[in-house]
Amino acid sequence: MASKRLGRTQDPTILVLTSLSGGPKHGYAVIKDIESMSGISFGPGTLYGVLARLEEEGMVEPLPAEGPRRPYRITASGAAVLRERLEVTVKVADVAFRRLGALGV
Amino acid sequence: MWPFGDWERWAYDRGVRGRGRPPVLSELVAARYADEVRSVASDLSVDGRSTSRLVFDLLRGAVRARARAQGMPRVYRLWATRTRLSIAVATLPWMLVAPVVLMAMGTQSLHSSVGRIFPPQLSLVGPNSLEVMGRQAPMPAPPLTSAGWVVVDGSRAILVLFLVALMVLIVGWSQLIGGIRRSSSPHRRKIALLAWAPGFALLADIGLVVARGLIGPSAYRLTTGHPMVPLNGNPAAGHALGVALGIVAIAGWLLSMVCVAVAAKRAEVAPADLRFGRTISVIVASAIALLLAAYTTWGIGLIVQAREAARGSFTTITYSNQGLWLPVVLVLLVIVALSALGARAAVRSWKVIALEFV
Repeated sequence: MASKRLGRTQDPTILVLTSLSGGPKHGYAVIKDIESMSGISFGPGTLYGVLARLEEEGMVEPLPAEGPRRPYRITASGAAVLRERLEVTVKVADVAFRRLGALGV
Repeated sequence: MWPFGDWERWAYDRGVRGRGRPPVLSELVAARYADEVRSVASDLSVDGRSTSRLVFDLLRGAVRARARAQGMPRVYRLWATRTRLSIAVATLPWMLVAPVVLMAMGTQSLHSSVGRIFPPQLSLVGPNSLEVMGRQAPMPAPPLTSAGWVVVDGSRAILVLFLVALMVLIVGWSQLIGGIRRSSSPHRRKIALLAWAPGFALLADIGLVVARGLIGPSAYRLTTGHPMVPLNGNPAAGHALGVALGIVAIAGWLLSMVCVAVAAKRAEVAPADLRFGRTISVIVASAIALLLAAYTTWGIGLIVQAREAARGSFTTITYSNQGLWLPVVLVLLVIVALSALGARAAVRSWKVIALEFV
């Protein structure tokens, strides 16, 4: 369980942006989507903390509410930030896999 | 309606009922998202997510949201209130903790195995020449240990920090009163009265001290083995005034903090006063952090001094309440964290005001 000892490595911001890059979703749908793609379970307190920050920074925007549920969608600037962050992650992952391959792991 | 059952219902009933607002926990996360948070929490609860986990997550989210002002609309009134409250959170803990630190040190006394030390206490400024009083002529006292000097310097630093922070707070307080006077709020008289609470408390203390001096006894007859006999004045009234002084001093001190906090929350002062208050909050938070450092050093010095003194002939320095050192350090740690968080929030809130409204 060494991976657990190292703590969570997934940034909640990236997870939320990734979820919304698949199309507009309301809070519950975002939580379920993140759960299915990463196994990480967000609570509403964490999710809306992240959504509030992303909305403030113009990376997501709310759509008209459907009853008590309000969908959010990723903006162009949010998509650009997501792409930038993922490119760095992919670069680091490439190097890591090559080095692990060299170690025979 | 109540995804967290009785706990949330209890909080709602005692918190926001009657104001037509949504339940406490979901609102605290960020008021703007309250309905959505409640709806998601309800869905997750139906999914089988445990209530305690949801409550913990909401509380964590609420603390973060409040600390970072997440989702707070860009409205000047809201950010100004946040700045004023943050300034109060950064500065008022000093009023609570500084007198406690001074009391927790107690009275200083000097000791030596060679004999009685004179003077019995070190003066706060200037060099001290200590002597041992014996049957023959006085002779120079053994030196203080190096840790003993650290204790002396620590106690001096504590006093200096106390005085500096007190002066800074008085300046900040007068700025608050001036800001209230200059404001256009229709309630500014009431708010000013609240803000004046420390002044009223001080006046009441001075009045009681003077009354005790005038009414109570001022001359006593001392007889060995017998209690002091008052020769003039009214001893019963003097005693009653002494008790009243203690009660008024403590109650006034605590009430002053509450009144100033309420006044700071309600006073609609100008942006320039907010900027000034932000600076005061940073200085006071720094002074409290330095006070913790000085008090910690002082206590460690006392511990090390005891070990050093066992290795030779030294003059040692002790304080009547030094046993309270560790609990006071722990309380100070909490206060330092609170004050630093307040100052940080004041700085950030002011930044938003300066960028968007000034």
